[in-house]
Amino acid sequence: MAAPMEVAVCTDTAAQLWSCIVWELHSGANLLTYRGGQAGPRGLALLNGEYLLAAQLGKNYISAWEVQRKDQLQQKIMCPGPVTCLTTAPNGLYVVAGIAESIYLWEVSTGNLLVILSRHYQDVSCLQFTGDSSYFLSGGKDCLVLAWSLCSVLQMDPSRIVAPRHVWSRHTLPITDLHCGFGGPLARVATASLDQTVKLWELSSGEMLLSVLFDVGIMAVTMDLAEYHMFCGGTDGSIFQVDLCSWPGQRERSFPPDQDSGKIFRGHRNQVTCLSVSMDGSVLLSGSHDETVRLWDVPSKQCIRTVTHKGPVTNATIMLAPISMLSSDFRPSLPLPHFNKHLLGAEHGDELRRGGLTLRLGLHQQGSELSYQERLEQLQAVLSDSVEKNVLGGQDRLQLHVTELEDEVCNLRKINRDLFDFSTRVITTTRRAK
Amino acid sequence: MTKKRKRQDDFQKVKLKVGKKKPKLENATATNFRTKTIHLPEQLKEDRILPTNNRKLNIKDLLSQMHHYNPGVKQSALLGLKDLLSQYPFIIDAHLSNILSEVTAVFTDKDANVRLAAVQLLQFLAPKIRAEQISPFFPLVSAHLSSAMTHITEGIQEDSLKVLDILLEQYPALITGRSSILLKNFVELISHQQLSKGLVNRDRSQSWMLSVNPNRRLTSQQWRLKVLVRLGKFLQALADGSSRLRESEGLQEHKENPHATSNSIFINWKELANDQQHIQVYENGGSQPNVSSQFRLRYLIGGLGNVDESLTSSESLKGFIEIIIPLLIECWIEAVPPQFATSVGNGIEREPLQVMQQVLNIISLLWKLSKQHDETHKLESWLRKNYLDDFKHHFMSNFPYTLKEITKHRRKDTNKSVKYCTILFNNVDHLLLNLTLSDIMVSLANASTLQKDSNWIEMIRKFVTETLEDGSKLNSKQLNRLLGVSWRLMQIQSNREATETLIKAVYTLYQQRGLILPVRTLLLKFFSKIYQKEELRSYRLRNRSRVLSRWLAGLPLQLSNLGSRNPELSTQLIDIIHTAAARANKELLKSLQATALQIYDPQEGTMVVLPTESQQRLVQLVYFLPSLHADLLSQLSRCCIMGRLSASLAVTLIGILHMRSSFSGWKHSLKDWLLSDMDYLSFLFSTLAGFSKEELTWLQSLRGVPHVIQTQLSPVLLYLTDLDQFLHHWEIAEAVCHSLLVISSRRQSFDVLQNAISKHLVGLTVVPDSTVGCVFGVLCKLLDHTCAVSESLLPFLASCCYSLLYFLLTLEKGEAEHLKKRDKLWGVCVSILALVPGVLKLMLQSLRVNRVGPEELHVVGQMLRLLLQHAPLRTQMLNNAVLVQQIIKNITTLKSGSVQEQWLTDLHYCFSVYITGHPQGPNALSAVY
Repeated sequence: MAAPMEVAVCTDTAAQLWSCIVWELHSGANLLTYRGGQAGPRGLALLNGEYLLAAQLGKNYISAWEVQRKDQLQQKIMCPGPVTCLTTAPNGLYVVAGIAESIYLWEVSTGNLLVILSRHYQDVSCLQFTGDSSYFLSGGKDCLVLAWSLCSVLQMDPSRIVAPRHVWSRHTLPITDLHCGFGGPLARVATASLDQTVKLWELSSGEMLLSVLFDVGIMAVTMDLAEYHMFCGGTDGSIFQVDLCSWPGQRERSFPPDQDSGKIFRGHRNQVTCLSVSMDGSVLLSGSHDETVRLWDVPSKQCIRTVTHKGPVTNATIMLAPISMLSSDFRPSLPLPHFNKHLLGAEHGDELRRGGLTLRLGLHQQGSELSYQERLEQLQAVLSDSVEKNVLGGQDRLQLHVTELEDEVCNLRKINRDLFDFSTRVITTTRRAK
Repeated sequence: MTKKRKRQDDFQKVKLKVGKKKPKLENATATNFRTKTIHLPEQLKEDRILPTNNRKLNIKDLLSQMHHYNPGVKQSALLGLKDLLSQYPFIIDAHLSNILSEVTAVFTDKDANVRLAAVQLLQFLAPKIRAEQISPFFPLVSAHLSSAMTHITEGIQEDSLKVLDILLEQYPALITGRSSILLKNFVELISHQQLSKGLVNRDRSQSWMLSVNPNRRLTSQQWRLKVLVRLGKFLQALADGSSRLRESEGLQEHKENPHATSNSIFINWKELANDQQHIQVYENGGSQPNVSSQFRLRYLIGGLGNVDESLTSSESLKGFIEIIIPLLIECWIEAVPPQFATSVGNGIEREPLQVMQQVLNIISLLWKLSKQHDETHKLESWLRKNYLDDFKHHFMSNFPYTLKEITKHRRKDTNKSVKYCTILFNNVDHLLLNLTLSDIMVSLANASTLQKDSNWIEMIRKFVTETLEDGSKLNSKQLNRLLGVSWRLMQIQSNREATETLIKAVYTLYQQRGLILPVRTLLLKFFSKIYQKEELRSYRLRNRSRVLSRWLAGLPLQLSNLGSRNPELSTQLIDIIHTAAARANKELLKSLQATALQIYDPQEGTMVVLPTESQQRLVQLVYFLPSLHADLLSQLSRCCIMGRLSASLAVTLIGILHMRSSFSGWKHSLKDWLLSDMDYLSFLFSTLAGFSKEELTWLQSLRGVPHVIQTQLSPVLLYLTDLDQFLHHWEIAEAVCHSLLVISSRRQSFDVLQNAISKHLVGLTVVPDSTVGCVFGVLCKLLDHTCAVSESLLPFLASCCYSLLYFLLTLEKGEAEHLKKRDKLWGVCVSILALVPGVLKLMLQSLRVNRVGPEELHVVGQMLRLLLQHAPLRTQMLNNAVLVQQIIKNITTLKSGSVQEQWLTDLHYCFSVYITGHPQGPNALSAVY
């Protein structure tokens, strides 16, 4: 296959025949269906290309399927409360879920519940990781968007209250969706809210770059990979396209098209709930409360395909098909462990039963075991050692060093002088030749 | 002999006698003539090229006179320059460089009058020259200023301070850029360096001594006071400037600061869609260079390489503090000698008090500056180590005494007269003095040193609490300090009892009536700061202060009581309420729910009386209300339709209620949204109707008013609304329609709507045109194959439709207001006729033309013709062909007597073309006959 295949993964609330359907993006051919439960909004995530996780709507468990075994539910991950949103780290090491107003973070390799973050004051509505898994963002019904650094969250120190890297509090009504752009810690984050605005933030500095005010509340937002356009789905079913790079000059040259159709995708009859753009930015997938999933051509803003569901669509995402989805004889590299319901280190019965040595896999965990503080101290110790040795310890060696350097300086001066003489000679001779 | 005689002649002695006039000498000068000066007040020649002043002197003449040896000429030249520039302001721009170089040169003039004139001219010029205009010349200005400040003549030194005042006021950023030189000048103005050998290198701080100059006109204390006031102002400008800089730099330290983003773009979608605005988010993304860079290769100030490092680095600040603080302490001691301070009963004079105040002011500004550079609290501990003992000894030992004496003093004055007291204290503020002192001291303490400092901190705490509790006459400046001190105290001592007493004290102050706005604002900010801090703690650790929650719960009531009296304060209140509501603060939500009916009252509630921005916040606040019961919803609907809320806000409100209703969420999502479907639908309907029940019943009694249209064929009378109201209603109806459309079971919602119409509208005789139009519009949009219009509704719809059509056709060109409605109303009429066949049939049946007068006959004919011509209606008309034919026949018979008019001919023609000419038409007709 020349290019990686892109598939659309959709879920709806009815879930009569299947709870999740996968179809090929361009041909529309059904590839797979997964059965069991109704996935909630912003509750579908692919873990490591091997497992498909779906937070159940209004129920307190997450269903997990092995991607190639479509008919069988692999595991039900029980949670302390109804899961409102769910996401996984792109490197496949962590699962994050919003349960009521707290954020739960599990380690995939062990299934331990590492940390519970409760900085939101109301239900968490959306969660997303940055592309390099170094940060994750959470938006809630309390109008706050928080940006968390994964490393600082994972530093286990019970005395310390984990603080988010940024708190963005300029929305005035609940956050409905957020989208994190490309670029890891330098990414830009778009947040949508019922207060009829979409705001674009810079993750590195925490500053707000842009705020767009619409006529209707915005329920979904996404950007294409190059971040040329931002797509915002409104409560009235229209999808607005905001061009992030446009010059007045450019506009004047082109023949003005019909203004309305130039910026809006029209077709949905009810609120848009989810949006996703393909890798090349040419196709937009949208799901709506009107029980349809629509595929749009971005340049011409026409609807290419409409897929009718039996209930309001909860998730519709475009993703690269993992290998496991296409070959049936694929086996996951690791079995999915039992996800723990209680915080690691808390006094609970099931903790004792496990016992034994916890061995953490993957490079990232090794890093996280040694905190940055400790590493910094080590580094400082090494540095101060060498300084002591060089400056305080050996006076004579220092002398030697100084003379060496002085010689070097003399040498450099000489070379410089030579170079100067040479160039002047060249220049003057050429003059004369002329 | 002759010779001798001659000689005697020559040397004859003139005898002067008493009482006789002295003879005149031969060579005496005659002094009896009078001289007159030749005075040339103006030149004869008119300058054609350059504008001139009253004395016909142009700018070049005036500037050249500045070099004249005579001070009088110079002074008059300066006055003339002022005169000229006030007449022709554009000269300033053209000759700024010359003017500045000449005018600033006379800052150091020997003559006091010339300097006075120069200062006056500068005072006049400074507001007219923008900072970026003067910035290239500023090195020159500041060089002259500092040479004036360091001049050996006292007069020039004194006048230089006036120049500094002007520059500080107009160009704070520019002048603080030169702080390194100016600060040194300040120090030199009041002191001199001691050059005794032992001390020179050992310790910088000891080498400066206060200088006393007996030659001055002023006492040296007055002089010092003057300098200190300027130094204070200068440092203030410096502190302001650097804090502004910091704010724009980015906000890693203060994450919660919502206003720190400077370069974010705000876009309105409508303008974006119309290509009126363009977004350029990525600064360096395009081919265009970033022009607003602050980078300069070389600053214009040639020799002064050290401009930047003045007080911006902590090292140089430290150096300055080391120099200035001993001097300040000396000033303090001079003002309040220790032996004098201990003797109770004497009031402190006004002048020393001023000096003390300035001393403290400067120290607190230095502290503020040091805090800005102090990331690691290193400087703070350094300050504490070096100066705490000094301060404790000199300042704090008198702290209660000072207070006592002043109160004594004040009491003495109040005995005399209140007025005198206010005059005396108008610029000497003992309270502020005390507060500044507490501020300085408190900032030296922190949580870890609490034990050691407990005695004086307790003193301050007591003072602060007392001041807060009887603080009715605090002004905003004092309060700011006071709250700053309390905040710091709370941070130092964070146990619950200590903070609770302080908060309580602030709350008693807050509860007082009649506080001025800035004071109220400060208090609000203080509380919201505490609230935010408390919120930051995680759930389990949160121990809510009871006073704080009482304060929070009281806010909604305050808001509703405030009404429209103070929109700014309301905005602040709404902000705090909104934040707390978004964070689901239980007490607040409870009290908000209790006051919601008052806040959202459609007549005089807070929502309708405030400006638009606040209205928007209040509309958004509806989302967070825990329960939306029927009363509240009916009030909200009244708010929407009464037009006090703009249409877009009303649409937002409808959208928000939709989000709260069970129709928007997921089926399984939480059931705690306390908004019943019934209430929601009745809200939608009453908003759609656009008129309350009372208004409608009032309308029923209207007859014969120009606003009511009556026809002979329809029982329904039409009430014409104003165009504004009509458009408002129309826009809202569209939003309502959308909310109804997205309800999943179309049939049920249609039935509910039908029921509501038949219950509330059917039976009315006078109906507003906007209501009819909106109801028709919504019906048309909602109607699909699953729904059926009930029979009982049809007659009402038909007569409404006829009335509307009649109104549209009788509209005259003159009524511009109603003409704008025409398209909209025509559209809905036609579509309801096309979609609901029963309505058309009933309407045609009701056209009993034999009962109408000739004018209406004409209208009926025209209406039929238009309906026939309308393409979407054609099939419906075909089905009713018999009826139509009958009507036309009747019309023709009625009209047969008179001359056949044009409209009748047209009607016949249309009928024959569209009905008879149609393939099915004749068959159908023939079948009937």
